[in-house]
Amino acid sequence: MIQPPYDSLICRRTVRMLVPMVQIFAVYVLFFGQYGPGGGFVAGVMFAASVVVDLLVFGDREETRQAAERLLASDGVGLLIFAGIGGLCLIGGGAYLDYSGLVIPGLDEAERRHLAILLTQAGVGIDIAIASISIVFSLWRAGETGDEHA
Amino acid sequence: MTQSLPALVFMVPLTAAVAMPVVGHWKRSACRPLTVAATIAMAVLAAASLFSVGTFGPVRYALGGWQAPLGIEWIADEVSATMAAIASVVGLLVLGFSGALGEASLSGRTVPYHSTVLLLLAGVVGVIYAGDLFNIFVFLEVVSLAAYALVAVPGGRALLSAFRYLMIGALATTFYLLGVAYFYALTGTLNIADLAQRLPGLLESKAAVGGIAFILIGLAIKMALLPVHAWLPDAYADAPDSAAPLLAALVTKAAILVWARILLWGIIPANADAEQILYAIVSGLGIVASVGGALLAMRQTEIKRIFAYGGIAHIGLVMVGLGQASAKAAAGALYYLVNDAVMQAGLFIFAGVVAWRYRVRAVDDITGAGIRNPWVVAPLVIAAVGMVGIPPTGGFVGKWNILLGTMEAGNPFAAAALVLTTLLTLAYFAPVLERIFRSQRMSRMGEPRGELGWPVRLSMAVPAALVLGLGIFGDGLMSAFLRVVGGP
Repeated sequence: MIQPPYDSLICRRTVRMLVPMVQIFAVYVLFFGQYGPGGGFVAGVMFAASVVVDLLVFGDREETRQAAERLLASDGVGLLIFAGIGGLCLIGGGAYLDYSGLVIPGLDEAERRHLAILLTQAGVGIDIAIASISIVFSLWRAGETGDEHA
Repeated sequence: MTQSLPALVFMVPLTAAVAMPVVGHWKRSACRPLTVAATIAMAVLAAASLFSVGTFGPVRYALGGWQAPLGIEWIADEVSATMAAIASVVGLLVLGFSGALGEASLSGRTVPYHSTVLLLLAGVVGVIYAGDLFNIFVFLEVVSLAAYALVAVPGGRALLSAFRYLMIGALATTFYLLGVAYFYALTGTLNIADLAQRLPGLLESKAAVGGIAFILIGLAIKMALLPVHAWLPDAYADAPDSAAPLLAALVTKAAILVWARILLWGIIPANADAEQILYAIVSGLGIVASVGGALLAMRQTEIKRIFAYGGIAHIGLVMVGLGQASAKAAAGALYYLVNDAVMQAGLFIFAGVVAWRYRVRAVDDITGAGIRNPWVVAPLVIAAVGMVGIPPTGGFVGKWNILLGTMEAGNPFAAAALVLTTLLTLAYFAPVLERIFRSQRMSRMGEPRGELGWPVRLSMAVPAALVLGLGIFGDGLMSAFLRVVGGP
């Protein structure tokens, strides 16, 4: 499904401009999730969308293949961040995911909660992004080898 | 720290499961030791949690520090702590057995297999502890997705079974979620304990009836209650031998435990008028499922299928117990549920060992396979005795209490169904036992393959020991279960 680079100057120029902007906006949505609609899930999906558009337009390259290998292996990293921060709260004597239990010197409780929610949201974002991109990669590999078990 | 034990029991397998792809990328051979270590840690924590619940009383754990009903609540009482401990032990047994089968049996899917097993265990722990309807939905989905993936591990024919299982399972969780939505719209709460306080007076509304009906239909499919059981035998028979015991022991049991929780803690306490109708429905469904499942089990020729239909019959028995207006029957049903998880694990590990070592899948082939190894035969006999419900096994304690409960509630049909199912269980186990005692090696079957190492022997012996232990030393646990369901 991922083909050689798409042969259209307009398409390539637009995407080259669009991708960084979407990615910056994804980061903004991640941080804005603290105050309004948004957060890790949406940010992750947006980031993944930008990468998928990039893949569809700039296509099959050697570095893309290497990236695919690594990405498929790092599928659980985001969830690991989420569960890890939740678990760190236990050390501080709080309940699971009770961010006031996170022990960071020099921060009061509200700041600790703020930071921890941001970090867990980043974990969610990373996980969603990797999962979405890896779906595209899996379909690509399955189509390439003709092996439905890929 | 003892307060946080339920969360830790859940966290250990979850963390190991999500770390598995990275670990597998770094070093493939590290997957299995990591999985075994995580499961052992989980079992130790679950045992500690059970001990602390027994000593200091039940724990109501508020995730994130948000108190129920606003926040998410996990309830660790004797029932859920016991179930969690059994789940982790079953996980260990399955891993002990799957090690003997080796990587070849997983079609090269070592990393996904181990990750999914841990994910399944984490999900089951979540379902067991969760005290609110929506979290139960989330964890049921985690369990189901892991189960679909495990069924599909061998590829080929199993893919079709897994896809069918996926479709039916997705339908079931949709029904469940619809029921939850009805309840939420009606009462504004998802917490089961809170639901019990808000439901009285609202029960005339069609929304409550619809909610109960949808939740029951959804969970009935998940627990493979007889008229909607069709996905189970295929899924279990086609699942790899290294995953079938896990599925048989935990997935359907998790669903029926959810139903028990919603029924006994959410609906019944709120429900003075409609109680009799609801009891009659649950009991009736249970009678049909237990007798029907046992009759279908008699018609099977494949070992795994006999056990699968036996499991379906036992789900019916648990429903019969839950459908009596008697705390004794309810506690007996929960006790039987715990036992059934152990017995199913033992039986499916037996089926796996026999298929791997003696290449036997059909009952008739047992005769020629020359199965003489006491480590294989003795656990089967003990598990069979437990399934029939003869003392001194845990199956007897559960069944006896359900029977006493049906008498207490004045329900002769349910009692008759219970006795009939017991006789039928004996009938469908008889051919297996008869052939295994006549078993002489015939040349066409070939030599037994591989050695029974100590992990496999332990995987066979521990369920048998648990079945006996739950029967002989089960009094304390049984009275604790009675306390939990609010009996004397």
